[in-house]
Amino acid sequence: MIWITIALLIGLLALSIPIAAALAALGLTLDYFYSFLPLRLALGEMSWGVSTDFILFAIPLFVLLGELLLRSGIAERMYGAMSQWLSWLPGGLMLSNIGPCTLFAAVSGSSVATAATIGTVAVGEIERHGYNERLFLGTIAAGGTLGILIPPSIVMIVYGALTETSIPQLYLAGIIPGLVLAGFFMITVIIACVWRPAWGGDKIAISWGQRWSTLPDLGPPLIIFVVVIGSIYSGLATPTESAALGVLMALVLAGWKGRLTATMLREALEGTMRTTAMIMLILIAATFLSFVVTSVGIGRQVTELITDSGLTPMQTMWMIVGLYLVLGMFMESLSMMIATVPIITPVVISMGFDPIWFGVLMMLLLETALITPPVGLNLFIVQGVRTKGQIRDVMIGSFPFVVAMLAMIVVLVLYPDLAMWLPNNVGR
Amino acid sequence: MDRTLDLAHRLARFGAWSGGALVVLAAVVIGVDIALRKLFVLSIGGASELSGYVLAIGSSWAFALALLDRAHIRIDSLYVVLPTRICAALDILGLVVMLAFAGLLTWQGWHVFYQSFQFGSRALTPIATPLLYPQFLWLVGLVYFVVVIVLLLARASHAFVTGDIATVQRIAGSRTGKEDLEEELESLRRRADGTEARP
Repeated sequence: MIWITIALLIGLLALSIPIAAALAALGLTLDYFYSFLPLRLALGEMSWGVSTDFILFAIPLFVLLGELLLRSGIAERMYGAMSQWLSWLPGGLMLSNIGPCTLFAAVSGSSVATAATIGTVAVGEIERHGYNERLFLGTIAAGGTLGILIPPSIVMIVYGALTETSIPQLYLAGIIPGLVLAGFFMITVIIACVWRPAWGGDKIAISWGQRWSTLPDLGPPLIIFVVVIGSIYSGLATPTESAALGVLMALVLAGWKGRLTATMLREALEGTMRTTAMIMLILIAATFLSFVVTSVGIGRQVTELITDSGLTPMQTMWMIVGLYLVLGMFMESLSMMIATVPIITPVVISMGFDPIWFGVLMMLLLETALITPPVGLNLFIVQGVRTKGQIRDVMIGSFPFVVAMLAMIVVLVLYPDLAMWLPNNVGR
Repeated sequence: MDRTLDLAHRLARFGAWSGGALVVLAAVVIGVDIALRKLFVLSIGGASELSGYVLAIGSSWAFALALLDRAHIRIDSLYVVLPTRICAALDILGLVVMLAFAGLLTWQGWHVFYQSFQFGSRALTPIATPLLYPQFLWLVGLVYFVVVIVLLLARASHAFVTGDIATVQRIAGSRTGKEDLEEELESLRRRADGTEARP
């Protein structure tokens, strides 16, 4: 039954059936052949239940928040400001790609938008300052992935909802690994530029006056970050409520900057609802599939298979990591998570791992999936922005950062406290 | 046929805007709820319940737009290396499976609504919302989604049979990263123009 399920899933996805329809088709097939009672009769109540889940209302709110920050130009200005502040370091703008990417991705929640926006602004600087092109492109592709790990992250909300894990705890757990990973990326650039100084391009002279003058541009994103995260941990609001506060704040800031026009708002709402609909339809199908998988006993079979294999929990965990790294080469990351989490997470928990820790590990694996060839969304985006050259350059340039991510994954598996320290010591 | 699809697209976009407006409205209600709770230790309550309905209604109203804009994610690892004729066949297969799923979902959704209607079910909350109203609006979105799939399927099949592969790809093909990017860049350009146009 396990192998049939896996073969069907791979088959449906390889045929390029829309993910939501593919998951539902798999659920219905399993229901038809293996279930004693027709589980499909529960589909209506179940989808009404998922669709009215207040926790999931954070999805349209955070998507809208990102759209507003992007369309009001607040996010772009933040890039300009941060690049001026980080320009003195070896590797200059390459480092500053990672800093703003981290913030930008955190507030916008979309790696595509991050890579596209920062890519467009930054690519022109490669020739002007003589940077090594490949490494520079790698910083943009890799920097754009950080948003999944650093709160507010939409992917984490989806993980939390699917596994019934506390979202504030997940957010707390993601912060330190996210910052450490950003640090790893920066160290990667510094090592490369110390080793081959020519890669680092010219020094850019920027006066302190210029720097101070850009400081106000860092304000709005910072305010939003503080409002969203602060209201969660001060106990003022739940994650969904904090997202609503973030949206209201973004509306006020966009209005204050004179960017809140009817056209802008309409475009932002349209984009928001399109993304929300896409995610919600997949979630409805995934919830149904997960219900069927549990009811017909596939989850138990997977657990038995792993127990019988005689592997230690640690060895199993390395196998799971390996599995996701391979899957991530071919699958888009959000759908990869939604399709596998209902089957994998119960097994992981039954082996004694913490679901919050595993959530953070999962985010790291998804980030890696975004920049591992042949299918890596961020690679495609960055290549698209530059309009010339071959995608090979982006892949080679991203490679050092894939290594940094793998190092981070190893560190997190060996030292779970890196993720668990904050949630264990704050807010419990 | 194309005009009908065009009209359907416009209606879908309108549905998404309305859903989006509801989301903003819910955000305001939540904000007021928090403020009252914090400042006056007073709860109007129900903000989370109503937001739940907004999520259900808003997303069901936008399912059709996501389909017409080809935003429902598909894995295209194999797709991109196949000949276009086979891709077009897969596009149609994708629509057929989507129709089966959406059809069943709507049928079961109808039962959910009909039961609330028959028994006058109310939510187990202080407001005790009669569930039939939000469920009706939710069902409207689902039905419209099915209608749009049928329309798209009819148009795409017709195009496929007459050998008009380009049309199949345009209305039902898998979005490539390139298309996503072009839209992102287009909106960046428009924003940049907006900046310059301002005094």
